[in-house]
Amino acid sequence: MKTPRELLFARHQAVAPKLDAIRQSTVSAMVGGGLVADEIPGRCSLTLWQTLRHELYLPSRRIWSGLAAIWLLIFAVNLAQHDRVPAVNAAAAPPMMSFREQQRWINELFADRAPSTEAEPPKTIPPKPRAGIYLSRTV
Amino acid sequence: MKMPEVADTEQLPVPQARTGEPAAWDALFRRYQWPIYVYIFELVRDEQASLDLVQETFIASVKHIGTLRDDAKFGSWLFGIARQKCIQRSRKRIEILSEDIPEMPDEIEAGPDDLLIRQEQEAGFMNLLNQLPPLQRSVLLLHFVEDFSLEEIAEITGAQLGTVKSRLHYAKKSLRKLLEAKNENAA
Repeated sequence: MKTPRELLFARHQAVAPKLDAIRQSTVSAMVGGGLVADEIPGRCSLTLWQTLRHELYLPSRRIWSGLAAIWLLIFAVNLAQHDRVPAVNAAAAPPMMSFREQQRWINELFADRAPSTEAEPPKTIPPKPRAGIYLSRTV
Repeated sequence: MKMPEVADTEQLPVPQARTGEPAAWDALFRRYQWPIYVYIFELVRDEQASLDLVQETFIASVKHIGTLRDDAKFGSWLFGIARQKCIQRSRKRIEILSEDIPEMPDEIEAGPDDLLIRQEQEAGFMNLLNQLPPLQRSVLLLHFVEDFSLEEIAEITGAQLGTVKSRLHYAKKSLRKLLEAKNENAA
């Protein structure tokens, strides 16, 4: 009695030398430098940017791209509105005067109302004796 | 040549092979050359083509060792490469993938040695194996040759676990039925 495994291996015993030759030729190709592993960036050699890209961006790249597109849209709309507002104001409001012009205009306006140079002295009331107050109340 | 021991993966020098040590690769190839050949031959049924595919599998494994994530899964990874090579050669992928899958059975599968074959049944067993549909044969071979778990077979074949379970169940059932029929005829 044999197991299927034993039966399968027994059936192909004759091919053993050929398999050995294949193995040896493959290993010799490695020794000769003709067969090398493909370069795959290891975790150690990854820069911070690459690590972030692999761990953070690539797993959910559609979501990140969608969010980036939305932000760009918001920025573009915001920028467009920002550009339009001063233009509207410029059309509606009268032209602004320069600072010096404004100053001159204010000076002219308040020239008539300029306060007198001599200020009125404060009125002084002579103090009364407390007894005098009392008497005036009682009488 | 001595039949390789199954599930002896902890001793394999996979970390050394990653660094490109030829001696480590030699040990790995020595361990897997026969099972890989048996698996490939039983799928393609051509000795020279099978030998070529074994060599292609070895070369691809050296080149793509960086894609192996878990060292303990080197065996199933190598068989996965071998299977891909077979598919590329036969160009019958569409036919293989379109095979009907029967409903999943509820019973638990037994080990690979639950089928015992008498000497007079040996030739018949091989014929029966060849009569199985390619996907069932592939799953059954992986089960017999390396005693891979259902999860590992699912990884190698790229199929769902339930599908693998189903294929294995029906393949073994078919074999058992055919063997019983042969026994009755012999009696």
